Amino acid sequence: MRQVLEGSHAISEAARLARVQVVSGYPITPQTHIIEALSQHCADGTLAARFIPVESEHSAMSAVIGAAATGVRAFTATSSHGLALMHEMLHWAAAARLPIVMGEVNRALGPGWNIWMDQSDSLAQRDTGWIQLYCEDAQDALDTTLIGFRLAEAVNLPVMVIIDAFYISHTYEPVDVPEQAAVDRFLPPPNPRFRLDPADPKSLYPMVGPPAFMEMRRSLQDAMEVAEAALAQAAAAFKTEFGRSCPPIEADGCEDAEIVLVTTGSITSTARLVVEDLRARGERVGLCKLKLFRPFPAEGIRRVLGRAPRVAVIDRNVSFGVGGIFAQEIRSALCSLERRPPVFSYIVGLGGRDVPPETIAEIYRSTREAAAPDPESRWVGLNPELMGAAAR
Amino acid sequence: MLEIRFHGRGGQGTVLASISLARAFFDAGWEVQTFPNFGVERRGAPVEAYLRIDHARIRLRSGVYTPDHVVVMDAKLTATVEVTRGLKPGGWVLVNRPGPPERIALPQYRLAWVDATAIALSQRLGTATHPIINTAMMGALARTLGMPEMIHIESAIRREVPAKKEENVAAARIAFQQVQFRPVEEA
Amino acid sequence: MSAWSRPPLLFPVSHTTTEANRTGAWRFARPVFRPKTAPCAAACPAGIDIARVEMFAARGRLHEAWQTIARENPLPAVCGRVCFHPCEAACNRAQLDAPIAINALERYLGDAALAAGTPLASFDAPDLGRKVAIAGAGPAGLAAACFLARLGVSVEIFEAAAEPGGVLRWGIPAYRLPKAVLAREIERILALGVGLHCNRAVDQAFLAEAAGRFDAVIIGVGFSAPVRLHIPGEDRVADGLDFLRRVQTGQTEAPRGEVAVIGGGNTAIDVARTLLRLGARPVIVYRRRRRDMPAFIHEIAAAEAEGVRIETLLAPVGVAADAGGVRLTLQPMRPDQPGGDGRVRAVPAGQAPTVRHFAAVFSGIGAEVGAFWHRPADEAETLRLSHCALRLGQHPIAYVGDPVTPANSVADAIGSGKQAALALHTLFTEGPRAVARALQDCRVGPGPAVSLEIYQGAERAGRASRTVAFADINTDYFPVAARRHPSALPPGRAAATFDETLEALAPGEALAEAGRCFNCGVCNDCDNCRIFCPDQTVQAVRDGRRIDLDYCKGCGVCTVECPRAVLEMEEESA
Repeated sequence: MRQVLEGSHAISEAARLARVQVVSGYPITPQTHIIEALSQHCADGTLAARFIPVESEHSAMSAVIGAAATGVRAFTATSSHGLALMHEMLHWAAAARLPIVMGEVNRALGPGWNIWMDQSDSLAQRDTGWIQLYCEDAQDALDTTLIGFRLAEAVNLPVMVIIDAFYISHTYEPVDVPEQAAVDRFLPPPNPRFRLDPADPKSLYPMVGPPAFMEMRRSLQDAMEVAEAALAQAAAAFKTEFGRSCPPIEADGCEDAEIVLVTTGSITSTARLVVEDLRARGERVGLCKLKLFRPFPAEGIRRVLGRAPRVAVIDRNVSFGVGGIFAQEIRSALCSLERRPPVFSYIVGLGGRDVPPETIAEIYRSTREAAAPDPESRWVGLNPELMGAAAR
Repeated sequence: MLEIRFHGRGGQGTVLASISLARAFFDAGWEVQTFPNFGVERRGAPVEAYLRIDHARIRLRSGVYTPDHVVVMDAKLTATVEVTRGLKPGGWVLVNRPGPPERIALPQYRLAWVDATAIALSQRLGTATHPIINTAMMGALARTLGMPEMIHIESAIRREVPAKKEENVAAARIAFQQVQFRPVEEA
Repeated sequence: MSAWSRPPLLFPVSHTTTEANRTGAWRFARPVFRPKTAPCAAACPAGIDIARVEMFAARGRLHEAWQTIARENPLPAVCGRVCFHPCEAACNRAQLDAPIAINALERYLGDAALAAGTPLASFDAPDLGRKVAIAGAGPAGLAAACFLARLGVSVEIFEAAAEPGGVLRWGIPAYRLPKAVLAREIERILALGVGLHCNRAVDQAFLAEAAGRFDAVIIGVGFSAPVRLHIPGEDRVADGLDFLRRVQTGQTEAPRGEVAVIGGGNTAIDVARTLLRLGARPVIVYRRRRRDMPAFIHEIAAAEAEGVRIETLLAPVGVAADAGGVRLTLQPMRPDQPGGDGRVRAVPAGQAPTVRHFAAVFSGIGAEVGAFWHRPADEAETLRLSHCALRLGQHPIAYVGDPVTPANSVADAIGSGKQAALALHTLFTEGPRAVARALQDCRVGPGPAVSLEIYQGAERAGRASRTVAFADINTDYFPVAARRHPSALPPGRAAATFDETLEALAPGEALAEAGRCFNCGVCNDCDNCRIFCPDQTVQAVRDGRRIDLDYCKGCGVCTVECPRAVLEMEEESA
């Protein structure tokens, strides 16, 4: 049934419908609403789960690692500095092959102290072995969370469901919330391939020396390599049950486009308006929405973007010393092609700076008019006065 | 698409009014989107909330810069906040005030006012220092815009308001009756 | 999208327990539970197991706390008021913030037991069929009687005065020790089956007669002769101790006006404060400096607060009659170089003596042995112990109390009586040759005091004699906390009455104060060893903790985390 929900609650509703059994959490803006709602569900009996309040995000992750090791469905959520504090345990959860699902609200890291939208927090965790799925709006967040549980349990890898601070987390909009019975069909109770069980005593994850460590890591890579196919299968099952698709990469009018815009997160939503408007004026512009970032869907990227004359990647993040992270990865995926499309890299909207349609339209124009991509990412909308002050 | 901006203070229920109105419009068949100004909320400090309504799915996910209408929950805010910032000509300015607002004399706007504070106190909503005026303002806005129908406002209030549901519904109804208008002045 | 199959899972799992790995073999040192002696206990002349007392008190187990005191000292409510508490001077906690208020806690526990009517434990020793006569019902004699009775010996006390207590009854004023408290603690000793005969002349004839009827005699008659000033006109100086005794028997008169009290010890203070309460204006005249006064600092401070004046570096050199009083000639003194004992002597300052008029002059310089037979003669067959002397032979005589103790305090007198009791018990059961060794073996740590509990071979006998030093304490577990003080009557009110000046600690305060105690060397079941052991080798067993040496790697974490130096590391033998 469609109802007006806050984006944070789209994720907590999905976790509730998934019948998670253990939830841990530590508050941090702008994530708190997710955990708050789940603790309320635990308290009022609308969710039969154990809520573990902890004293830090490191402990929040540790708690769900312990819970998942016993074979239960476990969930937590965090943001920004909280995710950074979890870093050590993120590696742990992945290498331990635990199907944890975590809501992650993109927010900048300080200083300057900033609670607003920025993808630097989640992208800094790209090498931890977590599957990363970026969401466009509240509906996407709910759907992706449900699919996330199925995917995590299929490949025994943890899944991060990522939404934009405020643009999604604190925005209310209509969301189709599925019936419990349908969710139960899509997501039966977990059937773990291993679990800690007092009836069969064992210890998990003792020391692994040089003779076996590489093989253990290779098996994690193998799991990542099948994760994209597993996601596609989960998404297909989701579409059968709920009628909505949730592809790793969504291509809209890319086949005959002169320029393809690549977006993630809530910018995709605004970009759809811009693309519609440009097409109405006769422009040949395509839109590529990237949902799956880890594992990186290189094959899909080559398929969607390989024949585009120009690609413009909009990054709401920066890897200092290199530039936009999505642009880098896309260039890397395309470089094996004989005829590589030029990739224009744009950095926008850091630390919550708004990205209105005009900014996206400007990126389009700039890509169309330039002779070739700049050697480095182009930062859009910098305030010249502040930059001048910085130079002094 | 219509964009409405709400001006209030932390603790006045400004964001809640915007959410409740979104649900009322949604019930009336609209697509909706509402969000607060992104930041930290502190009791008494100026806050803003935004509401978009449209007949088609709302894709736009950036700030509201040129609202069609504004709602001012506390007339004193007009001293410090430029409540007509970006307001489209012909837009409504609905203010919680016993009489027409003096500071907003710009002729290109339509003015509406309602003594939501007195209405709230008459329904014993909140306290004398912190009356809860948001439901009255919802009723006044419904009359001012001619939508949504009061039945949706009332139903949204009954669902959203945690206590004194009927008093809040009554406040909305009284405000709906009492709100007064000044049309766009002839040039 | 292509079909996919479930990805491999490769991570380590162990189905065996780690018990197969006997990590104890890696150890080169092992932790050992070795309870030790707390410095307070070693310093206590009565040998009280203070660290254990406070451990019980902190848990609110007041009965066990009191029993622990009373096992070594049958007069807790008395000592909780009058003891000069050398324990607090030795307290390790002084090096962190302030020593534990051991004395105030002893009073708290003593009063609680009196209120509850708790009897002294008798320990149900079998009757040895031996009888001992005790001359003198002062603290030494009473203690000797108590410990002998507990060891199965019949005891009769003979006291010259009309009531028992000795210096506690006659010398210490009621504002420091209410006589009802004393009477009830004495009753409790008598309840162990001790016979008491007051108004009985204790002289040489008694001695001769008792030798025939008893297996041994204990002489504990204390000091009975005032120390003389040896100055002209001394017969005009009133005896302060005699004055205190007469006040106890009901005298309420004192000279009006300024009264000189000669001396700097506790007797002088007691005399001066008693005079003050009877309306005189006492002035203490002391020959040395103020810092040289042997009286307790807190007693000096209380006296001054109440209005007693103290004049120092003045030596009395003559007393003469004067209209309405006496003329006291005082020689101004100056401090000399410290003597061989380190004490600063006073010598005349070279100024002329001054003559002062007083309504009366009292001496408060203490007392000395009253008759030669009150202390042992130098005989080869006399066994001299730290706090008593034992003349062996056909008619054994034990000497206790002030004439034979190194310090003249109530606690030393109690320790003296206990030492004599244990010595006689050994003499009766094992013969004269065993006495010295038996008394040596029941000493509390390196201190002179002996312990009944150790003598009986109970738990405390397992303590190492080494005392715990402050450096041995893991102070991470002890946040700084203020010492609790009992409240006192305002000096103005105190000076007008013989009511007790110090009040008892409030219950909550007492428990909190006991909780400050490090419990040096005594396990209080804090369980740190068990909690911190990385190999889970410390197990709680019925009587404490046990270490599973099959798995203990000897890392020593338990000894570091033991807050109170009970655990220590010992090198594995080859």
